[in-house]
Amino acid sequence: MLFSRRLMLGLAMAGSMASALAVPAMAEGPTEIDLFFPVPVDGKLARDMGTLIKEFNEGHPDIKATAVYTGSYDDTLIKTRASIKAGKPPSAVIMSANFLLDMQIENELTNLDSLIAADGSTKEKFLGQFFPALQGNAVINRSVYGVPFHNSTPLLYINADKAKEAGLDPEKPPQTWAELTDWAKKLTKREGDKVTQWGIAIPCAYDYCGWMMETLTMSNGGRYYNEEFGGEVYYDTPSMLGALTWWNDLVSKHKVHPPGATPGPAVSTSFISGNAAMMMLSTGSLTYVRDNAKFNYKVAFIPRNVRNAVPIGGASLIIPSGVEADKQKAAWTLIKWMTSPEKSAWWSRATGYFAPNMAAYKTPDMVDFLNKNPDAKTAVEQLDVAKPWFATYKTVPVRKNLEDEVMLVLNGKKQPKEALAAAQKAADETLKPYNAETSLKLP
Amino acid sequence: MSLAEPAALPVATSAAPRLNVLKRFTSRFKASLPAYLLLLPSLIFLALFTYGAMSRVLIDALYQRATPKAPLRFVGLDNISAVLTDPAFTGAVVNNLIYALGTAIPSIGLALLFALALARTNAVTSALRAALFLPVLIPMVAASALFLFIFLPNVGLLDHYIGRLLPVLPNWLGDPDVALTAIMIITIWKNAGYYMLFFLAGLQAVPEDVMEAAHLDGAGPFMRLRYIILPELKPTFLFVTVIATLNAVTQVDHVFVLTQGGPSNATNLVLFYIYQQAVEHFDVGKASAATLLTLAALMALTALSFRTMAKREGGP
Repeated sequence: MLFSRRLMLGLAMAGSMASALAVPAMAEGPTEIDLFFPVPVDGKLARDMGTLIKEFNEGHPDIKATAVYTGSYDDTLIKTRASIKAGKPPSAVIMSANFLLDMQIENELTNLDSLIAADGSTKEKFLGQFFPALQGNAVINRSVYGVPFHNSTPLLYINADKAKEAGLDPEKPPQTWAELTDWAKKLTKREGDKVTQWGIAIPCAYDYCGWMMETLTMSNGGRYYNEEFGGEVYYDTPSMLGALTWWNDLVSKHKVHPPGATPGPAVSTSFISGNAAMMMLSTGSLTYVRDNAKFNYKVAFIPRNVRNAVPIGGASLIIPSGVEADKQKAAWTLIKWMTSPEKSAWWSRATGYFAPNMAAYKTPDMVDFLNKNPDAKTAVEQLDVAKPWFATYKTVPVRKNLEDEVMLVLNGKKQPKEALAAAQKAADETLKPYNAETSLKLP
Repeated sequence: MSLAEPAALPVATSAAPRLNVLKRFTSRFKASLPAYLLLLPSLIFLALFTYGAMSRVLIDALYQRATPKAPLRFVGLDNISAVLTDPAFTGAVVNNLIYALGTAIPSIGLALLFALALARTNAVTSALRAALFLPVLIPMVAASALFLFIFLPNVGLLDHYIGRLLPVLPNWLGDPDVALTAIMIITIWKNAGYYMLFFLAGLQAVPEDVMEAAHLDGAGPFMRLRYIILPELKPTFLFVTVIATLNAVTQVDHVFVLTQGGPSNATNLVLFYIYQQAVEHFDVGKASAATLLTLAALMALTALSFRTMAKREGGP
């Protein structure tokens, strides 16, 4: 014991001396940068990221980028914040698009305007490359803080074989909540009280649940949050009440949706195994479904009750605050390379996310791919009605305030009305300090 | 802490003219100097990673920001009262109590049962012991990742095999009534084999002659268990209970992987609550206050049980 500690101490000292010697040597080699990346959906994203970064390093001998896997979107935010606090921020992060506002409020982001200007470009020209729906989550106070990397919208996935079996036409997917309810009823199979095939499954785990609530609320005419100001959410509203009541009806009234809170991977597994005939899930899972479904499937827009509208999802590339100038420059090179039309298109084909760079869809490989896989077009077409993803002060806790209550409703523990009132109260409490500093700070 | 005193004392007493006291201390100090030198590496690491961190928590617990950009200010015990009035914290404490009882009692019971059944060593029992000990060797995170698939609603392994027997398929991790039980099942599966080892060791210490005497007196297996084996195992019981309780507070890997404290805080345990306060809410003050409360409770519990243990062992 004693000797091992002594040995450790010795090793630690030797190590620190070695690293002290190594620092000047490194300065002459390539600039080393870390990229934090999450894997939020199904599929082999981690392997694809390795391929991408290897290609970048081969093309840029003066930069050595390392991709560091950091878990889910929520985990990636936590790890990035921990690294910033420890004084060793990663040079670039693929960050969930709706965390940018929260990070900007906490002074954790590098303003990208000057890097864009240094390239001789303008903000308008730079942002003009990307689909307009994505700009809301990348621009804060008219400054660019993130570059859209992979984005998604929620989609309705339909098991076409089961639909035909039930006498439904998969070429004419349901367009309204009424039609969807009807489809789900026809697609549910029962043996006595036991359901052997669910009509529809919608995921509800932390992160996914809030996104699906925003999807349903927007299709019901609502907004979920104040797009212009991070201190307000609209939980206790008729549009959200309608959305949650309908979701709850699918579970407890029509009994066509599995009860309780089901995480995303469980929903996709259920769909792939034929246990759920329809599901609402991110476009990011499209490649996974294409590779694994042993039946014909169909993807469609999220049906509407009031209007067609969905939030965007996915992630942007950011540079945390506190990154040294040379690393910042190297990171910016990496970011521009990763979001270029060719790479954007490649990543989109590998994952199922759509490519945020509009020019990606004009590359020959992508035109070819879309001809072979017309289902990949649906997400891009739905972008016309897409809106920004909820982003507030303390996005995660404010989102969990809602999610915990939604989970209670889906488990039959609470009625939608009282659940939303409780969620609003809790969220207002979480947002209170920010409002005290902004909207309620009066002269 | 007390170990550092002799080093500081010579300086303090050099000002006073009580030379004999000083001499006594210096000679004592000289005699024990090599011992302190040998302890120094450990002390440095303890100071760096244990006492340093603990005093930092103590300080952090006393400060708070009024608004996100306001400076830190001293708030005394406000953080502690904020934690105590937070329904999420009291919920986590209740969950943790249920979790501690619901995991400690069954896993200790099973461990004793396994140990009694496998006390004799032969090829069969050795193989069975190894099998029962296997879950201990799997890291909790890996085990939880496996259980994620076992607990998948409708299509998971568990539903595949026992789903047929149940009238309604439970959503193991998605139903607040069931999720904590699911988490407890994993803990029991993981820990029972570990505690079995302690009971096996304890059984070795049961004196042979007493057992033989009991046998000769005509005591049946139940009598021997009730009046000889169980009393002899008392120290083992105490020790394992302490370990099990500590595990119930410090093991939350499976909560991280499987439920993230959800659904609706149904599986939120105290340590996970602290994590949430620290890294999700960015509220270091509240997280530190909750840590202090937990540490105090754990220390009290440990002191109490070790005192009882010392009393028992010092008795005869």
